[in-house]
Amino acid sequence: MAKGTNDAKLLIQSLRKAYAATPTSLKIIDLYVVYAVATALIQVAYMAMVGSFPFNSFLSGVLSCVGTAVLAVCLRIQVNKDNKEFKDLPPERAFADFVLCNLVLHLVIMNFLG
Amino acid sequence: MVPSCHPSGPSHLVHNFSVFTCNACDLSFKYLFRLDLLTDLVVAKHARRLAISIPPRGRLSTLNDDAPPSHLTTTLPHRPAVHPLTFADRFSSRSKIVFHYLRCNLIYTKVPFNAQTTLVSALVFLFGSQTPPHTKIAPVEIQILKPYRAPSMAKQRPSLLLLLSLISLLLSPPPAFSFSDESPTARRILVLVDDLALRSSHSIFFDSLVSRGYQLEFKLADDPSLSLQRYGQFLYDGLVLFAPSVSRFGGSLDQSKVLEFVDAGHDLILAVDSNASDLVRGIATDSGADFDEDPEAVVIDHLSYAVSDADGDHTLIASDNLIKSNVILGDKAIEAPILFRGIGHSVNPANTLVLKALTASPSAYSANPKTKLSSPPSLTGSSISLVSVMQARNNARVLISGSLELFSNRFLRSSVQKAGSKTIYDKSGNEQFVTEAAKWVFHERGHLKAVNVKHNKVGETTEPGIYRINDDLEYSVEIYEWSGKRWEPYVADDVQVQFFMMSPYVLKTMSTNKKGLYSTSFKVPDVYGVFQFKVEYERLGYTSLSLAKQIPVRPFRHNEYERFIPAAFPYYAASFSTMGAFFIFSIVYLYHK
Repeated sequence: MAKGTNDAKLLIQSLRKAYAATPTSLKIIDLYVVYAVATALIQVAYMAMVGSFPFNSFLSGVLSCVGTAVLAVCLRIQVNKDNKEFKDLPPERAFADFVLCNLVLHLVIMNFLG
Repeated sequence: MVPSCHPSGPSHLVHNFSVFTCNACDLSFKYLFRLDLLTDLVVAKHARRLAISIPPRGRLSTLNDDAPPSHLTTTLPHRPAVHPLTFADRFSSRSKIVFHYLRCNLIYTKVPFNAQTTLVSALVFLFGSQTPPHTKIAPVEIQILKPYRAPSMAKQRPSLLLLLSLISLLLSPPPAFSFSDESPTARRILVLVDDLALRSSHSIFFDSLVSRGYQLEFKLADDPSLSLQRYGQFLYDGLVLFAPSVSRFGGSLDQSKVLEFVDAGHDLILAVDSNASDLVRGIATDSGADFDEDPEAVVIDHLSYAVSDADGDHTLIASDNLIKSNVILGDKAIEAPILFRGIGHSVNPANTLVLKALTASPSAYSANPKTKLSSPPSLTGSSISLVSVMQARNNARVLISGSLELFSNRFLRSSVQKAGSKTIYDKSGNEQFVTEAAKWVFHERGHLKAVNVKHNKVGETTEPGIYRINDDLEYSVEIYEWSGKRWEPYVADDVQVQFFMMSPYVLKTMSTNKKGLYSTSFKVPDVYGVFQFKVEYERLGYTSLSLAKQIPVRPFRHNEYERFIPAAFPYYAASFSTMGAFFIFSIVYLYHK
């Protein structure tokens, strides 16, 4: 229906406009999250094709992507100035947490990769 | 540490005549020595170690500047000074102790050799109390008391046993060169006949055997001195039974003894004719050939008889239905038909060990030629076997012929013409047939042996005790065939080896280098367990080879797996790319404007 598509177009445009207003740092984080999730999806598709033979490697690969995506989302939440819950949290602290957790995550991943 | 031997003054020199017993070797030393502090220590240590009790000494023994430790000075019953010691003697007595101590510790080491004590002993030895040069010391006697445990040297007497054995060896009869694994051909053959005229009437056959090196012994079948074995050893390596009419063997021979002979791996040639006794029929039946039960029946063939037959009742048959085997009948084809007159037998088709060497033609039958046939004969056609051969599972070979005349000079020399054919052969095929068949029966042909089974990993020469899955290995075996005089390499292209565990996982035909070596290489299957290299070779006319060699196969060790699994490369790439992306992201995030 023309009105439906019109509404959808309007919706998308407004979303775009709102998104363009977000700070660059958050956009960078979003990009990183998208990259990580895409990598995870590619791996799942590959596993669906060839089977789960080195299952530990599969888990390691997927979880590295998902884990780092989760950590990036956490970073985004904590760094976002519009978020009143983390008003008092210095963004450097959030970034430091992010880095530390990523290090631990990748250490575990390296071990589990086999 | 310089002792003074001045008799005047305080008698600080105590010559102690002590007896020490070395518990380790039960030798007692009686010696004199100066108990200076260092020696005391050595002795004390030695004593403690070897549980020697030191007789207590006087406190005046110490002449050193240092005060002696209190535990070493005890009151002694005063003993008169005996002999002053020479430097050499003291040296030697002390060194005797030291060396004895060393020796005891080395040889009878129940006590671990203490380096510290060695050092002390060595120091004592080197720097122990030395007499001043001006002192004159008389030699001392060092007596070594009689040791308690004297080593006994048993006198060696000349071995009576050896002498007896030598004598017995000289007097015993020399061993006959007989059937053995190294030379499978029989040597001594017993020929049992029921009429010694057979010796001359079948002389060509017997001479052919003799010319090939056999020792024939002719005996009458009811000779009372017959025996095949004595004291558990067989006297003959082969038996030729040309005694169809014998009803009881003489001596200790009987049907079971003959079969025992065959069961022991020896060969038998049995020939009967129309007056075959039950005994001989029984032997044949136990070897797989069932003769026609009718005692009057002979093989008659109205279409395939020999034209030279004078009787006209067609009992003399010319047969050329031979078994197709170059092993049994030789490489050269027998062209002339074979003359046969006698009885026929049948062979159970389920019996895999018996083969029909000479079969009657489809038109033959077994019946009494003198009477009219009242019912169809039981044995007819190609199921009648004229000559059969049997190779038992222990590779003993038996030839059963329904005609004794097949071996006779008359048949061997006569010409033959088959009824219905124009060709007249000057010589029948009998001679070639019986010679070649006898060669086969007595293991001059078709006897195989397999030696030198070897297996190893490709690239190595030693035989491992265990293989790993997915290893490459090679297997080789040497197969030889006995040619009557020596072992010749066996050449064939169908020898197979199995890698067997409950069922063959690998079955490979081995290639040969034409010198008897058969080898192949294959990959160990991806299954672990205890496998066997099996070679089961059974061919018509050849002795069977059955080799099995067990070998375990293990799975991968934990460090033998592939390090990086190719199927997981995308995951490796994803993990590392995520790490890289994290690194780049953090840089970009921190330094963006």
